[in-house]
Amino acid sequence: MTQLFLFNVFNGLIIGAFYALMALGLSLILNLSGVINFAHGGFLAVGGYLAYTLMPFIGFWGALAVAPLLTALIGLLVEFVLIRRLYGRDPLYSLLLTFGLAFILEDGTRYIWGAATVPFDIPDWMTTALSDQFFFLTGYRLFMVLLVFAAVAALFLLLNKTRLGLRIRAGSGDLETVSALGVNVRVLRNLNFGLGIYMAGLAGVLAAGMLGLQPTIGSALIMPSFIAIIVGGLGSLPGTLLGGLLIGVASGVVTVFFPSASEAVIYVMMGVVLLVRPRGLLGEEGRVQ
Amino acid sequence: MNILEVDSLQTYYGKSHILHGISFHVGEGEIVTLLGRNGAGKTTTLRSLMGLTRAREGSVRLFGADTTAWPPYRIAAAGVGYVPEGRRIFANLTVEENLKVPLERPGPWTPDRVYELFPRLRERRFNKGRQLSGGEQEMLAIARSLMLNPRFLLLDEPSQGLAPMIVQEVFNVIVGMRAQGISVLLVEQNVRAAVAIADRACVLDDGRMVFEGAAAEFAADEARVRALAGASAERWEAA
Repeated sequence: MTQLFLFNVFNGLIIGAFYALMALGLSLILNLSGVINFAHGGFLAVGGYLAYTLMPFIGFWGALAVAPLLTALIGLLVEFVLIRRLYGRDPLYSLLLTFGLAFILEDGTRYIWGAATVPFDIPDWMTTALSDQFFFLTGYRLFMVLLVFAAVAALFLLLNKTRLGLRIRAGSGDLETVSALGVNVRVLRNLNFGLGIYMAGLAGVLAAGMLGLQPTIGSALIMPSFIAIIVGGLGSLPGTLLGGLLIGVASGVVTVFFPSASEAVIYVMMGVVLLVRPRGLLGEEGRVQ
Repeated sequence: MNILEVDSLQTYYGKSHILHGISFHVGEGEIVTLLGRNGAGKTTTLRSLMGLTRAREGSVRLFGADTTAWPPYRIAAAGVGYVPEGRRIFANLTVEENLKVPLERPGPWTPDRVYELFPRLRERRFNKGRQLSGGEQEMLAIARSLMLNPRFLLLDEPSQGLAPMIVQEVFNVIVGMRAQGISVLLVEQNVRAAVAIADRACVLDDGRMVFEGAAAEFAADEARVRALAGASAERWEAA
C-alpha cells in the first residue's frame, strides 16, 4: 500500500512538474502580452518531434539541448509574423489565432511524422529502476524531475537577476511605462514569447521520453496547465509553479483511492479555489490584466 | 538652441479632441512649466511628446529631429526622461530593481549617484515599490528616469499628493537638474511652487495655449495666478 501510494505521489509529482513547466511558459506570455496561447501544447509536440528527428544525428543529450532552442526559434518567428499584429486588440483575436495555430501544429506534426506513437529512445542506463523496492523510480524519471526543477530555478534567476527578466516583470504590470523608459517593448515581447515557447519545447522532449510521441501529446497537457495558472493565481509565477505541482500530486494521490476521479479532482480543486480565494493561492488582489 | 519645438499639435483620445493646435518650445538648460486647470490637456501634451498618445496633426521636434511618429522607447533612447502622472512605480519590483528597468544610456547617473541624491531610497532599496510612501515613490520615479541619463526631463505633477516639505525637496532636485544641464518641462497644479523655479511658463486652457512667457512675469500677475491656482495655491500658502 505504501508502495502504491508513493508510486502515485511520485507519478503525480512528475505530471505536476510538466504542468508547471507548461503553465510557467503560458503565464509568462499571458502576463506580458495578454495572449492566451492555446498553441502551447502544439509547440510542446513540435519540441518532442524535433528531438526525435535530431536524435540519430546528435544523440539524446544533443537533442535535449538543441530541440527546445529550435522550438523557441519557431516561437520567435510565429510571434514576429502573426501574434504581434494582435497586441492591443480584444484578447478574443489572439485567442482565436492561437486556437487555430494549435490545430495547424497538431496536424502539421501528424502530416510530417505520422499519427502513430513513435518510440523515443532514451539512454539505456536511465530506464532501469534505481531499486527493487521502488520499481517506479527509474533514472529517467528522477532525472526528469530534477531537470524540470533546474529549469524552473534558472527561469526564476533570469527573472530576478537579469535586466531582461526585470523588464519582463516590470512590463507585466505596466508595459507602457517600461516603453517610456527606453526599452524596446516589441523586442521584449518577442523574446518573452520565445522564452515561454522554449519551456514548452523542453517539456516536449522530456515528455516524449516518458510517454512516447504522438501528435496529441500537447493537447492532453494544456487544459491542466491553464488550471494550474488559475489555482496558483493569475499573474504570479511562483503561484503557477505551486499550482502545477499541487494539481499533479493531488491527481496522483486520488488515483490510489478513487482512480476514476483522478482527472476530475483537478477541476474540483479549481472550483474550490475559485470559491474560497478567487484570486488564486498566490495571486494579487484586484489585479487587472 | 531649442531642444523641444512643438508646432500646432492636435491630439485626440478616440473622438474627443484634446489638444487644439498647441505650439511652444523649451530651450537648452531651461525649466519650463506647463500650467493649466484639470482637463486642460497638460498630461496629454506630455503623452504626445513621449509618443504614448500619438498626435494626429502638427509636429514634435526633439534635439532637432522630427519625433512626431516615433515610438516611446525611441524617444526615450534619444535622451528624454519621463516621470509619469501618478509615478507608476513597478509595485512588484524592489527599489533597486526599479532602477534597473530603464535603458542604460551612458552618462554620469548610476544607482550610487541617485542614492546620494535621495538617501532615503538607499535605505529602502530592498523594499518593493508598493511599500513606499508617496514621497518615496516620487523620488524613485525621478531616480528611475535619471538612470537613462536624460538630456531633457518631462515631469507630470511631481508634487501631487505630497506633504509641502517633500514638495520643496523634490523641487530643489528639479532645480539641481537644471544646474547639471538637463532641461525640464514641468507640468504642475501647484502654480506658485512651479513658477518660483521655472524660467518660463506656458498656460493651457481647454487644449489651447493661452499664455507663454517669462515665469517671473506670470508670477507677478497675482490675479492670473490666483485664477489658475485655485485650491492648490491655498494649500501652498498654508504651508
